[in-house]
Amino acid sequence: MHGYQGKFLRINLSTRKIDVEPIDESFATRYVGGVGFGVRWLYDILPKGVDPLSPQAPLIFASGPLASINFLGSTGISVTFKSPLSGTVGDSDMRGRMGGSLKGCGYDALLIEGKAERPVYLRISEGLCEILDGSHLWGKDTYQTQAIILADPKNTNMLVTSIGVAGEKLVKYANIICELQFFAGRTGAGAVMGSKNLKAIVVGGKLKTLVADREKVKKWMKDINSKIQTDGTCDALSRYGTWNIIGAANLNGILPTKNFQATTFSNINKIDGDALLSTVYIGKKACPGCPIGCRRVIEGEVPYTLSPEFGGFQYETVASMGSLLLNGDPYAIGKANELCNIYGVDTISAGVVIAYVMECLDKGVLTENDLGFQLKWGEPEGIFKMIELIGLRKGLGDLLAEGVKKASQEIGKGSEKWAIHIKGIEVPMHDPRGKKGMGLAYATSFKGADHESSMHDETFQRENALSELGFTVPMDRRQFEGKSTLVKVLQEYWGVMPDALTICKFPMVPPRPLKPGRLVGLLNAVTGWHFTIKDFLITGERIFNLARMFNVREGMTRKDDKLPRRFEEVLKEGGSTGESYPKEELDKLLDEYYRLRGWTPDGIPTSNTLRRLELS
Amino acid sequence: MAIPVKFLSAFQEQTQGKTTFFVEEGQLSQIFGELQKEIPGLKEKLWDKEGKIHPAYNVILIRGDTQQLCHDLNSKVKEGDELIIIPIISGG
Repeated sequence: MHGYQGKFLRINLSTRKIDVEPIDESFATRYVGGVGFGVRWLYDILPKGVDPLSPQAPLIFASGPLASINFLGSTGISVTFKSPLSGTVGDSDMRGRMGGSLKGCGYDALLIEGKAERPVYLRISEGLCEILDGSHLWGKDTYQTQAIILADPKNTNMLVTSIGVAGEKLVKYANIICELQFFAGRTGAGAVMGSKNLKAIVVGGKLKTLVADREKVKKWMKDINSKIQTDGTCDALSRYGTWNIIGAANLNGILPTKNFQATTFSNINKIDGDALLSTVYIGKKACPGCPIGCRRVIEGEVPYTLSPEFGGFQYETVASMGSLLLNGDPYAIGKANELCNIYGVDTISAGVVIAYVMECLDKGVLTENDLGFQLKWGEPEGIFKMIELIGLRKGLGDLLAEGVKKASQEIGKGSEKWAIHIKGIEVPMHDPRGKKGMGLAYATSFKGADHESSMHDETFQRENALSELGFTVPMDRRQFEGKSTLVKVLQEYWGVMPDALTICKFPMVPPRPLKPGRLVGLLNAVTGWHFTIKDFLITGERIFNLARMFNVREGMTRKDDKLPRRFEEVLKEGGSTGESYPKEELDKLLDEYYRLRGWTPDGIPTSNTLRRLELS
Repeated sequence: MAIPVKFLSAFQEQTQGKTTFFVEEGQLSQIFGELQKEIPGLKEKLWDKEGKIHPAYNVILIRGDTQQLCHDLNSKVKEGDELIIIPIISGG
């Protein structure tokens, strides 16, 4: 078996039993790795209706076959669980080195069940896994946790993946953080880890994983890397990181502003890519094996100290802690990002929750007495206090830590209308009124609102955007027509498969050079398989449908595939002026989308579809 | 009257940090020709090998309250218009 170690660790923290279980080739070819393994095991292990934070609910870390090579961030890992925010499949892909290092210990994945009696951490080295006392780490922030663990000589040269205090306190959108700079940020992985009294996982190993054809692997890697460095398609990403799209998003009228009440920000010149390069930016970093280097490093002293240790914020955080809150101060965005990282809270969800509270204050649903301090649009100090309240579950933060859906249901008074979530997951920083495919992707993603579940409409406005998958005719980002087919295919190709391979998605975005044929060629060279592009897509479709079946088993149907009512409102200014996302248009798209997927009109995969995908 | 051409998080190395240039109205191909004189090296980056707009960038034409994507170099740019060059949005 190539590209795999062929085994995973199954750890029960309640019984402290650690088993090594096999992964065979047949299973690997059907589910590949990462989210594929995660969804399969989650479906098989967790019965309907179990609380995501109960000991029974598993937390799965799975690498992909490409983690065996050091290529375009492929040494990352996918984290899969039942989301405490949505009750759907929860999954978040974390770049960094944890996947590669776990393979280096001799394992492709970790499946963690149960709940430790007292706080613990795991130490995994070559052929060895230990459950160690973590009492001294409990209550420590992410920075302190890493420092304490690495100060132990036994942990030299190992990687630390941990939760912050927010994870311990079961903040429903707590994240998991690796090396202080990589995150399983979305859908509440940190709360699941906290519910198991598991503070950290320390990994270090250097065992090799065999690949099928080393020469072919080298050839594919050289070919793709060379194109990335010379064809100009990654230049802006390399220079600006994901900040390269801030100005463009504002221009196109898709930049969430003032809790999605608008999509253009008056202070954009203070927080766009060029502004950030000239203020907080001090350098860039690359994931392992990546020549692009889109990660930012920031620093600041006045008015807020910013530590480069936490890396730099990305586009999503510029919007969620910036335009969404009318905050035009790059240093304040950096500070908000740093606080979220210290507590271990997802920056997107936290921003959407804070924006919801600001609108509640505007509309008199909440008062400053409810908070105990002043919170105003664009004023950083209030934003920082809100993050602390949430991270520590203090005061109103205890309710807000449940997520914007539950908070708005409790607060009521009509405030559900401006709680911007899908299936309980706070909406990311791409307003779907200006990009209609993204709206359909949000509504149908198996993990709620997810901006990485389908490629973005802007990419397909040019001819021959992705001809290998049949997308040759330009489609305006604002049009509804054609988006069902587009989203269906892209959810499989880009939403699922990179998370199964655990490779970065950015180099796959057209016109960048990691095209379908090259990616499949590389996968075959690593594994020795004979996948075609069609096989690759069907595998993505299998994983997608299995995740859907998990959600269906939990009671979800078409009624849950919806968008917040705010997106039915017509935008009045900016590059998407006049655009809205009426329910009737979403319904038309859903009819076509379900038909294309082989689902019933109520959004349930038919038995024929499940048979075709070998899932019955 | 001159047409403003703005570079938004794009080609700052070539423009040496300058974000806005002014050119005379005309076809996009003529405008790009003018820009090339002011910004050496731009052509190799903004045009692809077939002489088309590089697929990694979008050229947006702003006319009054509307904005449209320029699909080729034949687009006509008139007085009062504005051109903005942006990288393609690829997710955050």
